[in-house]
Amino acid sequence: MNYSGNILTKKRLNLEVREPLGLLAKTIIFLISVFLGLSISIFILILSGVNASDLWNEFIIYIFTSQKNLSAVLVQAVPLTIVGLSAAVAFRAKFWNIGIEGQMIFGAIAATFIATNDVGPESMRLALMFLAAAAGGIGWIILPAIIKIRLDVNEIISTLLMNYIAFNFLLHLLYGSWRDPLTGFPNSQQYDAFEIIPLIGWQSLNFSIVIAIFLAAVIFWLFVFSRFGYMLRVLHSNANMAQSLGIRVGILIFLATIISGALAGICGFAVSAGIESRMTQSFFVGYGFSGILIAFLARENPIGILIVSLLFSILVIGGQSLQVFYQIPFAMVQLIQAIIVMCVAGSEFFIRYRISILKR
Amino acid sequence: MDFLVFWLSNVPSFAAPFALGVLGMIICERSGVLNLGAEGFVLVGAMSGAGVLISLGDYPLSAIIIAGASASALGLLFGFLVVLLRVNQVIAGLIMVFLAQGLTSLISRNMGWVNKPFSGLGRIDFGFLTDIPFLGPVIFGQDIIVYITILLYILSFYFIYRTNIGLRLRAVGENPDAVDAAGGNVILLRFMAILIGAFFLGVAGGYLTVVVAKIWVDGISGGRGWIIIALVIFARWQLWRSIIGAVLFGCIEALIPRLAAVGVQLPQYFILMLPYVVTILVMIWSNLKGNNKQDTPLALGRPYLREERH
Amino acid sequence: MPKITRQSHLIEMEKITKSFGDFLAIDQVSFNLTQGEIHALLGENGAGKSSLMNVLAGIYAQDEGQIKLDGNTVDITGPAMAKSLGIGMVHQHYKLVSSFSALDNIALTVPHGTYLSGIRDLRKIIISKMSEIGFDLDIDKQVGKLSVTEQQRVEILKVLLGGAKIIILDEPTAVLTDEESKGFFKTIKLLAESGAAVILVTHKLKEAMNFADRITVMRGGRIIDTITPEDLSEEQLIRLIIGEVIINEPNLSKDIGDRKISLQNLQTTSHDGSIALKNISLNIREGEIYGIAGVGGNGQTELASALMGLSKLETGAILFNGHGDISSMRPDQRRNCGLVYIPADRQKYALAGQLSLTENYAISGLLRHEFGSWLKVNSFKACEKASEAFKEYDIMGVRNLNQKAASLSGGNAQKLVISREFSSNPSFIIAHSPSRGLDIRATAAVRAKLCMARDNGAAVLLISEDLDEILLLSDTIGVINGGSIVAEFEAPTARQDIGKAMVN
Repeated sequence: MNYSGNILTKKRLNLEVREPLGLLAKTIIFLISVFLGLSISIFILILSGVNASDLWNEFIIYIFTSQKNLSAVLVQAVPLTIVGLSAAVAFRAKFWNIGIEGQMIFGAIAATFIATNDVGPESMRLALMFLAAAAGGIGWIILPAIIKIRLDVNEIISTLLMNYIAFNFLLHLLYGSWRDPLTGFPNSQQYDAFEIIPLIGWQSLNFSIVIAIFLAAVIFWLFVFSRFGYMLRVLHSNANMAQSLGIRVGILIFLATIISGALAGICGFAVSAGIESRMTQSFFVGYGFSGILIAFLARENPIGILIVSLLFSILVIGGQSLQVFYQIPFAMVQLIQAIIVMCVAGSEFFIRYRISILKR
Repeated sequence: MDFLVFWLSNVPSFAAPFALGVLGMIICERSGVLNLGAEGFVLVGAMSGAGVLISLGDYPLSAIIIAGASASALGLLFGFLVVLLRVNQVIAGLIMVFLAQGLTSLISRNMGWVNKPFSGLGRIDFGFLTDIPFLGPVIFGQDIIVYITILLYILSFYFIYRTNIGLRLRAVGENPDAVDAAGGNVILLRFMAILIGAFFLGVAGGYLTVVVAKIWVDGISGGRGWIIIALVIFARWQLWRSIIGAVLFGCIEALIPRLAAVGVQLPQYFILMLPYVVTILVMIWSNLKGNNKQDTPLALGRPYLREERH
Repeated sequence: MPKITRQSHLIEMEKITKSFGDFLAIDQVSFNLTQGEIHALLGENGAGKSSLMNVLAGIYAQDEGQIKLDGNTVDITGPAMAKSLGIGMVHQHYKLVSSFSALDNIALTVPHGTYLSGIRDLRKIIISKMSEIGFDLDIDKQVGKLSVTEQQRVEILKVLLGGAKIIILDEPTAVLTDEESKGFFKTIKLLAESGAAVILVTHKLKEAMNFADRITVMRGGRIIDTITPEDLSEEQLIRLIIGEVIINEPNLSKDIGDRKISLQNLQTTSHDGSIALKNISLNIREGEIYGIAGVGGNGQTELASALMGLSKLETGAILFNGHGDISSMRPDQRRNCGLVYIPADRQKYALAGQLSLTENYAISGLLRHEFGSWLKVNSFKACEKASEAFKEYDIMGVRNLNQKAASLSGGNAQKLVISREFSSNPSFIIAHSPSRGLDIRATAAVRAKLCMARDNGAAVLLISEDLDEILLLSDTIGVINGGSIVAEFEAPTARQDIGKAMVN
C-alpha cells in the first residue's frame, strides 16, 4: 500500500502470523468454508437450471431412502478411499503424487494380465491379481521416485507425464491385442467369476469395502503407531532436521512413494475387479485429482479420508442422477469438489493470519 | 523434399501454443509464483475462443483476445488465492486445473458449443513470397498469430530485461524483501505477473481451438499445459531457451500426422507418447547437468508476508 | 566532532509499542535524533533495537505511539513512505537480489527515468558518489559474487542515492573485520558531517564509545538511558546494558585424557557460495573442549556439516578412537559411533516446531531403537523419558508433553535440543554457537551442560563467533580464517592474540 503525503490518522490493514488457534476455532472455520463452498456450488447448479428442491431430492432423499443407492455410495467410496490414502502417504513424505491415475492404469493392466492369462490356480487368482496390481502401481511410480530422490526432478510434472504415457499404453492394448474378442469393444474381456471381487450379500456391495477399511486401518497404524510414521512426521515437519538427525531421508521418501504407488495400483484392481468386471479405457478418470483433494481435505488422516470419501461419493452418485435427469455434465461433480477444496484452502488464511486495522 | 516442406511448414502452428504458454509461465514464475494451473488456463482460453466464434460470429482475432482475457479472469481468482490468501501454490494450481475442467465442460455443454466446427483462422497469403520454394511456405505461409508470437517475444524480452518494471518483476521472484524495502509493491507485481501469464496461456488455448482444431471438445488441451510447465524447467526461465523448447516440441507434434500421411506404419499410441517421454528425458537430462538450481527464481513458490518475524 | 547547535529534533518517536503475538518486542519507547549526529542504539540481542528501527523504516507497523519528523506527525505506512520521508535503512541481513548486478540493485531502489536511459545516468551518479565518499566497487559484478563488505557498500549507496537524510545502520560491523570497520566508520563520519543523521544499531560497546555522539541504551524492549560517551565509564555502560555485571571465571577442564578425535587434512570444494575447507587438521582429547574461534562465514558451518556427514569431504580423514576413520560414514552411522550435533540454527536444523515436545525429544532415542519395535512405538516410555529429561534440564514453559515445540522460547528450545542430543551419552559433541540468541540465564545453563559432558569424558568441539564464550570454555583454541585453522593456542591465552589471528 503506497500512500503519499503526510496524511494523519489513516487506517491501515496489517497482517500478522497469529498464535495457533484452538481446535474449536479451527473446526468452526473449516465448517464455515465447507458451507460456503456448498453454497457456491448450489448457486451454480441452480444457474444451470436445476431446482433447489430437486437438489435436496437427488442428494439427500434419493440416496438415503433407497438401499440400492446407499450401497452405490459405499461401492463408490471404496476407490475414493484408496486413492485418498495413496495421495496421503506420498504427501506425508512431501512427494506430490499427481500420477495416481497412471499407477491405477498399470495396476489394472497387471491384474488383467493375471486374469486373462489364467496365471495361478483359480482359488488364488484374486489374491494374485491384488498383488500384481500393487506391483504394477509400484512399477509406475518407481521412476519418478528415483529421479526425484537422486536428481531432484520435479515429481509433480514427472508423475503427471507418466499418466499420459500410461493412458496411451492402455489404449494401445485395448485397441490392439487386448480388445474384447467377444464384443469387439475396446475393453478387456470380462473377468471370470472367480476373478471378480465377491459380493458381500447386501445390494451391490462387495468385499472391496473390506479391503478399503483394512487399508485405511493399516495406514492409520503406520502413521500413528509405527516408527516409520514417526519418522515421516519428522520429515514432513522439518526435512533439514530429519537429515541432520541421521534419518535416511531418501529411503524414507522411497518407501512412502512405493506404498503410495501400490495403493494406487490396488485401486485400479478394486475398480476393475470390483465395479466394472473388466478393464475399460476410462475406469480411472478423475480419481487422481479426487485422491489429492480428499487427502488434502482430510489432512492426510486415514479416518478423515474415510469420511471425506463418503461425502465425495454422495456427490458422485447424486451427480450421476443429475447427469441422467438434467443433462448436467458429470464435470459438475469435479467443479463442486474444486470449489469446496478452494474454500477450505482459502480459509486456512484465517487460521494462520490475523488481520488488524491500525488507526493512529 | 516435399515431406520436409510439409513437415517444417506445419511446425510453427504446433510450436506457437507452446511458445505462447511458456512465455506466460515464465513471466508468472519470474515473479515467484509457481503456476501449476497452466492446463486449466489453457482450457479456459480454448473454450472461450471457440465460444466466441460459435456464438458471436466469425471474428477470430477477437476470439483469441477474449480467450486470453477469460484466462486472466481465472488468473484473478488464482492471484486472490495465492497472493492474498497465501494458499499453498501447488494446491491452488491443482484446484485451478480441476475448476477449469469442470467449468469449461459445464459452460460449453450449457451453451451448446461442444463438437461444433467453425472456420477459425487461416494462414496469411503473402502472394509471391509464399510461392518461394521451401522458404515460402515455411516462413511466409503461417497464420498471423505465429508472427504476433514472435513480436510478443521481442516485446516481452524488452519488458523483462529493459524496463524498470521488468527489473522489479525479476527481483520480486528472487527476493521480495528487497523489492519491498525498495518501496515496490510485491502484491501488485505478483498479481500483474499472474494476469499477464494467464493471458498468454489463454491465448495459447485460444490458438488450439481457433487456429488448430477449429472445434471444441472437453479437455482439448490434452495435457499441453503440463508440457508447458515442463518446458519452463527445460528453458530454465530464459526466454530464448523457451523458443528452442517450443520449436522442438512443435517439430515432434508436427511429425506425427506427417508420418501417418505419407503412410509410414507406426504404432500410433507409442508415437502419441513421444512428447511426454521426451519431456521426462529432458527433465532428467537438465537435472543431470545439475545447473538447474541456480536458474530457478529463488522465491518461487513462497508466499510473501512482510511482518513475518524470524 | 560536529557541534549540535539545533535544539529541535529531526525525529521524535513517542511511546512506541510493538508486539508479536504474546511477545512484547518494544514497550512504550521514546527516542529522538538530531541532525548531524551519530546516535548509537546499544543493547544486547533481543533488546528491541532492530524492532524499533524497523518501525521507523516502515517495515513493521507500531501498535501504539507516534513518530514526528521535523515536528510534524507522520504516518509511515511502509518502506516506500519511509523512503520518501528521507529515512533509509541498511538492514543486518542485506536486502539485495544476489543474481543482479550492483548497478541493477541500486536501480531497483532508485529508478532514474526509463530503465534504458536511466541506467546510464545512474552509473554516472553512482561513480561520482563513490569517489565522494571513497568507495571502491565494481558495480557491474553480480552482487552474489561480491564480498560482504562490498555488499554493504551497495546497501549504503542505495540509501544515499535514495536521498536519505536519516540513515539507520543495523549491526553494520557484525560481518566486518577490524580493519574494514575502521574504514567504515570513516565513511560514516563523513556522512554525518555532510548533514545526515546516522543511527548506529549495535551491541558492540567500543564502537558506540568511540564513534557516537550520543548513546541510547535499550534493554528488554525499553529505553534505559540516553547519554554521551564522555558521561560514563565502560564499566558503567556495561551495567546499563546488561543490568548487572556478571563476572565469569573461565571454566577449564581439570582432567584431559588421551587423544580421542583427530581431523587430518580436511578439504572440501566450494559451491553455491560456501567457503572451502583448506587442509584442516586438529586433535581433540578426552575431557577437552576445543574451541574454534573466528569471524562468522569463515568455514564454521562447512566444518560442522562435514564432520556430521551432511556434506562431502574431498580428501582427509576423521579418526575417532575405537571407530577408525569415520569420514566415509553416513550421518546415522556417525551418530551410532557417539557423535552428536548442536547446530547453530536450531529452528532450521534441530527442531520440528509443529511436532510435540515429546516427539522432538524422543526422535533420537527412537532412531537408536530405544522406544519399542518398528511396528509399535512405545510412546509411554518415550513420554516418561522426555518428562524426566525436561525436569533434569530445567526446561520451562512445559504445560504438557504434547504441546508444540514452537511454543518454547529460544532458551528452552535450545535446552530441549541439548537434552535430546545428550540423551545418548555422546563421546564427541559438536556445538555450533550453542548460546546464540539466548538470555544470560539460559546461556549459563547451556554452558554448564557442555562442561558437564566434558567432565564426563566427552570430546567437545565448540564452534563460536563469540570470543568470550570461547575464552570461558575452551582448553585449546583454534582460529579459523578463510576455511583453514590459522593458529592454535593453549588456554589461558591473551584475547588480543586470538583477535589478531581472526582478522589477519
